[in-house]
Amino acid sequence: MDRRARLLITAGVVVALLVPLALDRDGFPLSTYPMYSRARGDEVTFATAQAVDAGGVTSALTLRVIGDSDDPLIVAGELRDAIRNGRAAERCEEIARRAAAWSGLSPGSVGIEVVTERHDVVAQVEGDHSTLDRTVHATCEVRS
Amino acid sequence: MTEDIEEPVVPDGRRGTRPLPIVDAVAPPERLAMLRILIGTFALTYVLVRLPVFLQLGERRTGFDGVGLATLLDGPVSDGVVDVTVVVTVLAGIGFVLGWRFRTLGPVFAIGLLALGSYRGSWGQLLHFENLMVMYLLIVALSPAADTWALDARRRTQSNDASTEGSTRYGWPIALASLVLVVTYVIAGIAKLRYGGLDWVFGDTLRNHVAYAAARLDLLGGTPSPFAGLGVRLEWLWPFAAAATIVIELAAPLALLGGRIRTAWVIATWLMHLGILAFMLIGFPMPLFLVAFAPLYRIERLWTQRPSWARRSSSTQPAVAR
Repeated sequence: MDRRARLLITAGVVVALLVPLALDRDGFPLSTYPMYSRARGDEVTFATAQAVDAGGVTSALTLRVIGDSDDPLIVAGELRDAIRNGRAAERCEEIARRAAAWSGLSPGSVGIEVVTERHDVVAQVEGDHSTLDRTVHATCEVRS
Repeated sequence: MTEDIEEPVVPDGRRGTRPLPIVDAVAPPERLAMLRILIGTFALTYVLVRLPVFLQLGERRTGFDGVGLATLLDGPVSDGVVDVTVVVTVLAGIGFVLGWRFRTLGPVFAIGLLALGSYRGSWGQLLHFENLMVMYLLIVALSPAADTWALDARRRTQSNDASTEGSTRYGWPIALASLVLVVTYVIAGIAKLRYGGLDWVFGDTLRNHVAYAAARLDLLGGTPSPFAGLGVRLEWLWPFAAAATIVIELAAPLALLGGRIRTAWVIATWLMHLGILAFMLIGFPMPLFLVAFAPLYRIERLWTQRPSWARRSSSTQPAVAR
């Protein structure tokens, strides 16, 4: 390959890398690398799913039960998208099926709730009361 | 891995022409071959470790929003297509590492991973650590990376058609990969200033990100980093860590200068990723395993200058050497 071709390709690669930045559009494999780049306050809304007993007391599930993955980015991202796109009930049923087969499910659990919760994350990490708000988007039954 | 990348030289047959960085970089074929082996082994291992995740993609039917190569699709593909793509990618990856039928299997492996990464990212969450891996693979796959230390090279040697001299043919792809590396870090640094502003550095943003990562894991039933609580309490630490992060990312082009300044940047960057892993349990495997920094070094010396104990227990060349 001659020098001019190498120069053009090198310039082309740099331009391609910078295009997402100019367009402010993330993609793959060309990206704006926006991960953890936004300013973040200490109050954050999370999407999650919890088991609930007959008295309304909730207990935690696992990444695998909630999202069928061990990756929190994938589990959180997909659950957030499901809620945003009106598929919370559908996702709730999927989670309930996995929960029914999960040996760690709290005794007395009768259902699953897909929720968004607003937390003070610093208080949450320090073990203090942190829940500021809670919205239930879907509930479904756990059939054992 | 402590030596500089070689200085650019006047390109072949063009005496008096001022050499350009990157474009006129030269290297021996062994360096590009070692990059093929390192990147290929890393990427193949990555696919194998995440095989269940990739195979599971075929079962998904809702929530598809194509990114990358998957924007060409109208919707989810059948599980058979996903299975075949995964199997072909893995098989091509073996050829990539061994340098076997490289002109075909090299691009197949790179495009296979581009396709799998695109499809996996089309369900609501991009994993940005896959980007650099795919870009490295594309560069290496389209280069003469199997001219030596490869099964293809062994066959060519038998027909007296082997190229062994260092030139831009081998140096330029490596230098291009190193350019991609530093530009991606610069873009990440710009993103923090663009989206987060000065508050990212001087405010509580980084501390809140650490708390956020831990809280998210906890609320999703995972196990947060044992260091997150301690980190959140060390309020004074985070403006320094944030400033250091921005400086490291924006200073990435210094790594192209080579020498101690490059190694200082690599160490700082590696420590940054180690800190992210320790406090947020978010691992960027390529830099953490140092593979991301491979194009910055004379990596062929990993084999040619291997320790004496390794020489005693092996032949003088890799198993796939010509």
